[in-house]
Amino acid sequence: MRIQKKEIASEIFTGSMADISFLLIIYFMITSAFSADRGMDFALPEETDTPEIKQEDSIDVHVLRGGAVEVDAKGMPLEGILPYVLDKLKQNPEKPVILRTDPDATYGDMIRVFDLLRQAQSEWTDADGRPLYMDVHGNPLVGIKTISIPTRREIENLWSMLGIQ
Amino acid sequence: MALIRGRDRKATAQIFTASMADIVFLLLVFFILTYKVEVDRTKMDLPDTWIRIKVPEKAAVVSISPPDDISGPPLTIRVSTGAEMSLPVSTDEEIVTFASTEVARDPEKEFIVKADEAVPYERVDAVLDALKQSKVKYIFLLSDQKTVRE
Repeated sequence: MRIQKKEIASEIFTGSMADISFLLIIYFMITSAFSADRGMDFALPEETDTPEIKQEDSIDVHVLRGGAVEVDAKGMPLEGILPYVLDKLKQNPEKPVILRTDPDATYGDMIRVFDLLRQAQSEWTDADGRPLYMDVHGNPLVGIKTISIPTRREIENLWSMLGIQ
Repeated sequence: MALIRGRDRKATAQIFTASMADIVFLLLVFFILTYKVEVDRTKMDLPDTWIRIKVPEKAAVVSISPPDDISGPPLTIRVSTGAEMSLPVSTDEEIVTFASTEVARDPEKEFIVKADEAVPYERVDAVLDALKQSKVKYIFLLSDQKTVRE
C-alpha cells in the first residue's frame, strides 16, 4: 500500500508584513525630528596663551538696547561696521574685536552683529577665496582674527584689575 | 449567432501592490538611518544667521526659552547631556554643576546654546559665564538659516 505523502506548504506568511512595516515607519517618522543642527561656533581662548588685550589695542563693538551699535563709542549703522573694522585691521591685522552687549538688548541683536563680523571672511575675499585687501605690511586680510565675546563678569573683573570702578 | 457574441468582459479594478513592500522598506530604511532623538524639544524662534556650521551631534545642550504665556515663569532654562532628554534648571549654579560634571567626564565636551532671539542678553550672558566658569572649551550658538538680505 502506498502511503501518500502529504505536502506541507512551506510559505512565510506575509499578510501582516505591511502592517508591521507601516507601524515601524510611523514610529520612526514621529520620533525622529529634523532638528536644528547648525549654528555658529564660538571660539573660546585657550587658557595658556590668552593674549593680554589693552582697551586701545582693540576694536570695541557695543550692542545697545534696541539693537543699535556703537563702535569705539561712536554710533554706527550695521553696514558701516565692516568697512570701519577693515580700515582698522589694515593698520594692524592683529587687532581683536571685542563684542559687548547691553544686558537689556536681546540675544537676537547680539547674534546679528556677531554674524556680521563673521561674514568679514566672505566679504573680504572674492568668489575664489582670494583676498581683496592687504594690510600696511602687504599681507592679505582674509577676516577678523579674533572676535572676543567677554561676559559681564569678565569685563567687571578686568575693570577691577585695572582699578576702574 | 449566440456563439459569436463575446462574453461580457468585466473590467477588473485592481491596485497594483507588488511594489508596495519595496517602497515601504525604502522609507523604513531612510527613517531608521536618519533617526535621531532630539534631546531638547523646546520650541523657539532661533536667531537667523548667514554663517552656519554643523554642530556636533553628541554635544550637551543648554536651552533658554521665553515663557509660553504671560502667567508662566519669565524664562525656562533646560540642560541636556546630549544623550538624555533635557531637564529644567532653576539657578545658574545648577548650570555650573551640570557643565562641570560633563567637562570632568570629557574635557573636550562641546556645548550648544539654544536660545530664543527675544531672550534678554543678560540671561544668555549668565549662561555663557556659567559655561566659561566650568572650563567648557567649545560652545556653539544654534541658529536658523537667514534667507533674505535685510
